[in-house]
Amino acid sequence: MVNRTELENKVIPYKILLETLQNTYDLVDSILLDNTIPSLKIGLKYLIQNIEANIEKAGDGLPVVGHHFAFQSEYLDCFDVVPICIEGTSYILSALLPDGVEKYYDLMRNWGHPFHTCSSQKGVMGMTLDDLFRFDAIICPTAPCDNTMASYPYFKYQADVPMVLPDMPFIHKEKSFKYYAKQIKKGLEDLGKIIGQKPDWDELKKHLEIDNKSINTQLEIFELKKAIPCPVENFYNAMSAAVTIFMAGKEEKVKYYDEMLESAKNNYRKKKHHGGEEKIRCIFPYMLIFFDLGLCEWLDRELGMSILFDIFNYNFTKPIRTTDSLDTMFYDMARKGMEFPMMKQSTDFYYNFIDDCVNMAKEFKSDCFIFTMHIGCKQFGSVVQVLREALRDETGIPVLMLDLDVGDKRMTSMKVLRDKISLFAQTLL
Amino acid sequence: MSLTNDKFLNISNSIKNSYLDEWKNNKKKVLGYYCTYIPEELFYAAGFLPYRIRATGHELDELADIYMVRFTCGFVRLTLDLALRGGYDFLDGLFITNCCDHARRMYELYDLVVFKRKEIKQKPPQFYVALPHVINEDGFEWYLDEIKLLKEQIEQEYTLKEIDNSQLKEAIKIYNENRSLLREIYNLRTLDNPKLTGSEFLQISMANTSVPKEIANNELRRILEIIKNSKDLSNNRKRIMLVGSVVDNINFTKLVEDSGAIIVSDFLCFGERNILDDVDLNGDLLENIAKRTYYRMSCPRMMDDHKKRYDFLLKEIERAKVDGVILQRINNCDLHGCENMLLEHELKDLGIPSLNIDREAFLTDTTRLQTRIEAFYEMIK
Ligand code: SF4
Ligand code: SF4
Ligand code: SF4
Repeated sequence: MVNRTELENKVIPYKILLETLQNTYDLVDSILLDNTIPSLKIGLKYLIQNIEANIEKAGDGLPVVGHHFAFQSEYLDCFDVVPICIEGTSYILSALLPDGVEKYYDLMRNWGHPFHTCSSQKGVMGMTLDDLFRFDAIICPTAPCDNTMASYPYFKYQADVPMVLPDMPFIHKEKSFKYYAKQIKKGLEDLGKIIGQKPDWDELKKHLEIDNKSINTQLEIFELKKAIPCPVENFYNAMSAAVTIFMAGKEEKVKYYDEMLESAKNNYRKKKHHGGEEKIRCIFPYMLIFFDLGLCEWLDRELGMSILFDIFNYNFTKPIRTTDSLDTMFYDMARKGMEFPMMKQSTDFYYNFIDDCVNMAKEFKSDCFIFTMHIGCKQFGSVVQVLREALRDETGIPVLMLDLDVGDKRMTSMKVLRDKISLFAQTLL
Repeated sequence: MSLTNDKFLNISNSIKNSYLDEWKNNKKKVLGYYCTYIPEELFYAAGFLPYRIRATGHELDELADIYMVRFTCGFVRLTLDLALRGGYDFLDGLFITNCCDHARRMYELYDLVVFKRKEIKQKPPQFYVALPHVINEDGFEWYLDEIKLLKEQIEQEYTLKEIDNSQLKEAIKIYNENRSLLREIYNLRTLDNPKLTGSEFLQISMANTSVPKEIANNELRRILEIIKNSKDLSNNRKRIMLVGSVVDNINFTKLVEDSGAIIVSDFLCFGERNILDDVDLNGDLLENIAKRTYYRMSCPRMMDDHKKRYDFLLKEIERAKVDGVILQRINNCDLHGCENMLLEHELKDLGIPSLNIDREAFLTDTTRLQTRIEAFYEMIK
């Protein structure tokens, strides 16, 4: 008989993650005053619960299912499985481990994975090559980028993991949502056959409803950010990305946003800025720098720069209708999937993205944009200048572009990045 | 007679050519496209000359630098640069599909930048088709619908009347014949004593995408005769298969061949991959065009089809008696980079020699490449 430890060893990086989260939490708890960085403390608390529960499930012998970040984990709640977000795991470990996940990037690079192909997949690919993850199946939409299309076949052809690929169209039309809705349903049915479980749509409904509960709260927080000074600390954005990825469809996600809303309201009432004084309001229209989330605090405290939001914090969809028919539910799931952060911008022409940026700049009274041009995301490689011109013409505000690998600190040193931001900030003050 | 300095092959060295000028002088339209996932027959039936955009010979990318960050595909960057300098002002339309992240964004860049330049009097129509990333029945149903919508759009914005079955049939016949002629020529490369080099085939193939297909077919027939009647090439060179990113410049194939080898087979989108499948002339013609484009031998942008590509490669290696495979990618091409990674391991497991290299679109690193290629040939001795 296979023992519990052996089963848990199918997800060794999760054990590493749990230990790191716990250490970070203990450190935060012992050295930071209460409510110093609320999002960090609240988020860590719930993340620990979530990761612990998943390791427990792996130990119970439940199938380990890898999923792309854009195939939301709540969709897998129709099964009894251990969901592992491939991109999320690479980057959360890159953020928390002192040496990042460079070791696994190097393993994959030496194996032939190109240096310019996304590190968000490279990390878990390397961990799989090192036998630290043993997936029973993987589900991945055919989007949003070449990196996804190019890297995932590795799992199928070299790591021998059965793979399900719901096809997501690269155009946002009514028929696209209908098509993708069918793809999600079929994808889940196919996955069920692989792992020997039948999808339980009632269970799925339950979790979709839980996820629905946090949408309004997120929107309220989003609205509060229009206030000057911004009542939410920069780190909230980073933690929200983790919460969105790891806790979708879970009560912990609802609680995180509820507690954060309270904190934001409190600051709003007191006109309190996390860094003391808000000098610059900035939008990160794309990702944060995952290998150095300390940047969030540094910007708040050293430069008085608020990150109003990053890409994980301005894309909201309507709640999923769960009480009509199954078709409506899957249609809404498809819509949510296609409008998920990065998917929305990557699977359609980028005209709407540019318009959204211009409108947000105006509505949120942003002073500048910082665009993190991640080496993986070639689909954004021709956006920055067009965005820069649109913002200049319509709002007069500048864009700073940082070229980097958001998950690998070796490509551009953090010192260089911070210097660039400091110089940019000086031109704004 | 030989192919050296043949007028048809020379077309591949430049962007414009006399056949294109003649077509334009007759007030006919030219449609630019990037990727071979295009229902060319449909556009041809509508009166367009589909022209595959390339940047052969163009070495500048400063203008493209403004609009595309450095870690994008050099091939696409060069074409954009050329377009921004007016090199593609002769286009009367642009077709884009979501082939790869670099080329698909040309839809927006042509729309917002290239076609907005003051030199452009009237903005040409743009067409876009969303192509699935997997090959199955659902995907085909989606794709067929896209092709039907495309036909409607062409009829509304361009022909202003229906494209009828006889026009489709005529276009299909011409294109099928074109592919069949190219296959015949291609097969003369794979002989024990090849009749033409990989560089010559690449030139033929590039020229073929830059002229009207009726003309191309006449030229291909003429060239076929020349090749058939020419002397065999020496058979003591290494027989190489070239795989990977787009090659639109014979400087690269020459580098491979001049170091003591001959490219007897390839898996490139200016090469064999695009000429393997024909369109059925029976039944619903539009559907048949969609079928060929969708179900044809895929490239790595089709996420679930690696096995088929790999099996095909193995058969080709056997058929063309390949001594070694050169897997190459243009820097920043993720699709071919990862496909090559898989192929390298798979070929190694079978003991088939392979070399996996990255390169710039316009060759700047010749010495480095040459050293690696020569070392590879040494190894497969
Ligand atoms: S969208 Fe960008 S960050 Fe996300 S997987 Fe693709 S390349 Fe990586
Ligand atoms: S390699 Fe594939 S995606 Fe790229 S241009 Fe050729 S056919 Fe299109
Ligand atoms: S070489 Fe690669 S990145 Fe460049 S156009 Fe072809 S498929 Fe796209």
